[in-house]
Amino acid sequence: MTATLEVERLGVSFGPSGAPRQVLHDVSFRLEHNEILGIVGETGAGKSVLAHALVGLLPGDGRVTDGVVRFEGRALADMSQRERQRLRGGTISLIGTNAKALLDPVARVGTQIARVLRTHRPCPARQAWRQAVELLGQVGIVDPAARARAYPHELSGGMAQRVVIAMALITRPGIILADDATLGLDATVQVQVLDLLVQRSRMLGVSVILITHDLGIVAHYCDRVAIMRAGRIEELRPVQGFLGRPDTPYSESLLAAARARPVPAEQRHAGKADKLLVVENLLKLFQVGGTQPPVRAVDDVSFSLERGETLALVGESGSGKTTIGQCLLRLLAPTGGSVRFDGQEIAGLSEAHFRPLRRRMQMVFQEPYVALNPRWSVLDLVSEPLALLGHHSRSQRLQRVEELLEMVQLSRDLARCYPHELTAGEQKRIGIARALATEPDFVVFDEPTTALDIRVRAQIIDLIRSLQSRMGLSALFITHDLNSVRSLAHNVVVLNRGRIVERGETEAIFASPQQRYTRTLLAAELPIEWSASRRAGAATVANPVSEHSA
Amino acid sequence: MTPKLAGPVVRSWRALPRPARIVLARVALIPPQLFGVLLVTFVLVRLLPGDPALLLLGNMATPEAVASLRQKLGLDQGVAVQFVRYLGRILHGDLGTSIFTSHPVVQDLIERAPATLELITYAMILTIVIGVGLAILAVIGRGGVADHLTRLYGMAAGALPDFWVGLLMIYFLFHIAGWAPAPFGRIDTYLTPPPTITGFYTLDSLLTGNWSDFTSSAGRLVLPVATITIVNAGGVMKMTQTAFAGIYDSPFIRHARACGLPQCRIVAMSLKNSLPPIITTAGFLFGFLLGAAVLVETIFAWGGLGQYAVQAVINSDYPALQGFVMLAAVFVLLVYLVVDVLYELVDPRIRI
Repeated sequence: MTATLEVERLGVSFGPSGAPRQVLHDVSFRLEHNEILGIVGETGAGKSVLAHALVGLLPGDGRVTDGVVRFEGRALADMSQRERQRLRGGTISLIGTNAKALLDPVARVGTQIARVLRTHRPCPARQAWRQAVELLGQVGIVDPAARARAYPHELSGGMAQRVVIAMALITRPGIILADDATLGLDATVQVQVLDLLVQRSRMLGVSVILITHDLGIVAHYCDRVAIMRAGRIEELRPVQGFLGRPDTPYSESLLAAARARPVPAEQRHAGKADKLLVVENLLKLFQVGGTQPPVRAVDDVSFSLERGETLALVGESGSGKTTIGQCLLRLLAPTGGSVRFDGQEIAGLSEAHFRPLRRRMQMVFQEPYVALNPRWSVLDLVSEPLALLGHHSRSQRLQRVEELLEMVQLSRDLARCYPHELTAGEQKRIGIARALATEPDFVVFDEPTTALDIRVRAQIIDLIRSLQSRMGLSALFITHDLNSVRSLAHNVVVLNRGRIVERGETEAIFASPQQRYTRTLLAAELPIEWSASRRAGAATVANPVSEHSA
Repeated sequence: MTPKLAGPVVRSWRALPRPARIVLARVALIPPQLFGVLLVTFVLVRLLPGDPALLLLGNMATPEAVASLRQKLGLDQGVAVQFVRYLGRILHGDLGTSIFTSHPVVQDLIERAPATLELITYAMILTIVIGVGLAILAVIGRGGVADHLTRLYGMAAGALPDFWVGLLMIYFLFHIAGWAPAPFGRIDTYLTPPPTITGFYTLDSLLTGNWSDFTSSAGRLVLPVATITIVNAGGVMKMTQTAFAGIYDSPFIRHARACGLPQCRIVAMSLKNSLPPIITTAGFLFGFLLGAAVLVETIFAWGGLGQYAVQAVINSDYPALQGFVMLAAVFVLLVYLVVDVLYELVDPRIRI
């Protein structure tokens, strides 16, 4: 029996033909019917290029230099332009990252789904619309008839992702190619979306390729896994065996990073209960205009932080955690409540009076690249906050910048680089160095580990841990990555819709969450250790013979 | 833009379909805008040096005659009263009498406005079709012949003066080749223009079934329309190219491709998404051409508004100038009304 998709010694190059830059080398695999294959790799491993090569849509001057891609035995290269167009969306559907950017902003989502159906299976517009609405209901959209008439900007990220899944499923393709499809979604939404995708695929007998950098996803949903590195497939095996004993040292290091099960956060030196930061009844409203009531982004939140303590604010997007962080540093003016920093009330302080305190309170911003001025070198970026400390001579500044770079474990040669020349992990470190430049007492880390590769994430966590113990830093740690909370925070505050749901010591919360919301959050984690139980759940409608050997 | 009103009003406002809300909210702005235009034209006249009565009667007038005319014109009254009277006159369609032509200004404008409007309307349509069309061809066939040619044209179009293009066209196409009709007005002199229905000779001759009038007036339009188009399509093309290329490379277009949508559908999607800046540019250009086509009008002896305005300036014909300014302002107001409505219609993200 032929495999539904066969890739044989695929090579892809970019750049001028004189000096090509080969991005994929010798990639071979087979995708069987009704199989879920995970392809894992870090940024730059060539996963996305592979996905685009499979649908024959390499960007720019990318081209296939070697090998063949066969669908049901037919080579992609032999197909006519028209056949390839029929293939895309008809035989193999691509689901990309950041669904909101994948939808046409000026067309109703129902129209967009119906459009795909009518391209591949010509039918009357009304019938296509009806099928689109029906499918929207099946992918878990509430009130699908009304939602089909919505425009993409009216949807949340999770809903948009479901719409994109519906676009992929509507033609009943044989293969679904999910390229980091849940990146950037909340963990709870990610689990729902993946559960749904996998269940529908098993039910319809669709083969799936899940491209991801998250081994947790692979462990929970995939039958086999391919590890990609630098454009090659390093290892390709059934998931169970792989998790038990990977073949290559690279896979081993990936698994180790993903397993990085917390060494729980270090105990603080039991000193005097010295409250550095006390937040009482913090309130932040956003006016939305018109006659709608204001949004209560932060609703009556109180907590306190002792010197040397790391407190984690945990919740889904929209829970108000970043808003709280910005209110504490007066990047947003709180609507009400009190914030006392080292005994001083700062909530009502004017910017002129607050400015001296900025030296002592710093923030590491969420998007490292967006938060760095693209036209400044690392030297300028890291020395900018030093101005808060008063005048430094040029050589003093240079020396301090080098110290800081060393502290965040970056080479001092990077001082002359610009942000776009750095990797995401390096940008994160620069952001941390900037925040630490003034030797602050209190730092807010806003999502320091999201959207990073597994190993980089583990490195950043290690870095923050070492800074905590070396500098006795008091920190507020804002995240939805529960994994890192365990390794970094002493105490946890769980937020939902601007309100505190639950609080307590990290270990206690993780061991026995009291509130349902907290349990939902915890259940959405995909640690590779619990894979067996969840796999059973996801594969309820699975074909009993879904395990194939390569 | 939503007025802050009581609950039920807001609810019934929300119940209206979005297009109706867009049009109503925008049309509601017209009266205050119109009032502003009238105020400005009134103040403009007040600011002009010299006494209008003296200007009308000439330097040889007796003081008595000037005084009686001042009284007749209401110039001896307060400014507020004068403004109210001015509004009253305008509402009755009285813009004064042109000093130079001795016709009522309204009559002059009614004769000349359709000539210019006909010219620039066809020129606009052609400009958009060619500008947008070339931009799409250039983006789709990137690196190909179309791309290079449009780049060349884009550079040249910015540097071509319209009168020069017009003269070249007349020289080569009329004088040398003899293909184009003579550059003398809107219609052959031996033909009687069609009766005025819309004021556009081409439409009126079609509506009355006068075939020879139609061929003549359409033929006369070819060179001036081509001139304006050649000069202005370059700008529209460059602007569209930038907007369209950005959309054409965006993730949702790549996704549409991965969904197997055909090329024509993908171009249509990209175009619909790049419409807002195109609409804005086209609206601006349309308003601008009303007065800016004057050199082309002069070269082709078109007898349009631009020529009228220039004549009025040269002859210190203030009533005529004032009439032109008001007409131009109202025209621009209407064009921008259409632009704003279209802009909001094509982009569902704008909240109404």
